[in-house]
Amino acid sequence: MTETEIGSLETEMNRGFLHILVLALLEKDMYGYAMAKHIEGLGYNVEENTLYPLLRRLEKNGWITSKWELGEDRPRKFYAVTSAGRVLRAGLLDIWKNQNRILDEINKENADVQ
Amino acid sequence: MSNKLEAYLEEIGHFLSGREEREEVLSEIRSHILEKTERESGGTADEALDRVIAAYGPARKVAEKYLDGRPIIAPAYKRHLFRYTSIVFAWHAILTAAAVIFKEDFIVFPFLFIPRLGVMEALMYLPTAFLADLGIVALILYFVTQRGKEVKLPWPRFGVDLDEVKTPSRSFWSRIGTAIGAVIMIGVTAFAVFLFARHQTIFFTNLDFTRARPLFTLEAGRLISLIVIAMFAASTVSLVVKLFTRSRWVDAVSNVVSLALIGLLLRQPYDNLFTVAIPERLLPKIKFGLKFVLLFVALLVTLDLIKNIVIIARRKLARRDR
Repeated sequence: MTETEIGSLETEMNRGFLHILVLALLEKDMYGYAMAKHIEGLGYNVEENTLYPLLRRLEKNGWITSKWELGEDRPRKFYAVTSAGRVLRAGLLDIWKNQNRILDEINKENADVQ
Repeated sequence: MSNKLEAYLEEIGHFLSGREEREEVLSEIRSHILEKTERESGGTADEALDRVIAAYGPARKVAEKYLDGRPIIAPAYKRHLFRYTSIVFAWHAILTAAAVIFKEDFIVFPFLFIPRLGVMEALMYLPTAFLADLGIVALILYFVTQRGKEVKLPWPRFGVDLDEVKTPSRSFWSRIGTAIGAVIMIGVTAFAVFLFARHQTIFFTNLDFTRARPLFTLEAGRLISLIVIAMFAASTVSLVVKLFTRSRWVDAVSNVVSLALIGLLLRQPYDNLFTVAIPERLLPKIKFGLKFVLLFVALLVTLDLIKNIVIIARRKLARRDR
């Protein structure tokens, strides 16, 4: 398998993960650049040109809200999760945990076979 | 503020034009780029800004991420595009042939307009008609896709299934068949060239080649013979090439060459054609019959060409989707 193929599959896997990640991060009000840096600090990298369109889609669906604030020298758009967003996050986390559990069990089965 | 940043934002804005969130999206990107440049390079120097803009990505790709990803034609309808176009074009071709034969216009405004055409005009008209048919079918499928509802489109079946996108496997016997065909065509072509070299024609009224009597007058016979020999040669080359490759391009190119040669034959005036005496009242009927047969062959070759182009396109799509 080539790096390009892994990269393309990783992009697909990231889609769901990024939703959970952003909805979890936005328990605290944050703006885009700060979110990207925070995620980077945790050892994960999210492209800026992916993060902002995702934020827009989440906002359109009512899962997060936003407001412009004039901090320091320039305006910044701060986001926060809504109650609908929290419900969504809980649902996505359940799915994600269940997927992890299934993979763990299969790994255990494979280890027993070997 | 940097002109480069504004030019970049303007380019993104161009791709987002018509969308109500455009200005807000651009403001957010501007704010992000300026902050990143300032924090990560300690100033808004042009070089640092260039780096940050380059890292953000090409304007078109950035804009595309804000656009909903609905395709112009849904993947499930791509096969309908080719099948429906084939059906519409088949009708178009039949009506075009009728327009030539009956010397009539066919108008169904605004969907169809086939003026009264001569044979050559008809041959020129058909490729344009194909593109128009493809466009109309694509437009209908576009509207069906954009409606976003579940629509079950009818799926007419043909005797020849253009869905077969796999390259057909070539058995030993099919290769033998192609080889025999190639040998026969080489023999036919060689014999035609031999006759032409000796008699300047390949059409005779008798089969005794020692005292051959040409069917056509010298000039007409020479030209028609050369065109027919070229057709034999094209078929021979096509068969020989098909021994080594299974590409549909070979058939498509062979179709195009045949169409060009049939076109040349159709251009002939067919006056003073025969060396033998033909009753005056029969001549127009013979001319009409000849043109009709040639036009019919041209129609069959055109349909075969369309089939080959569709199969080539479908194979390309299948490879791309894999």
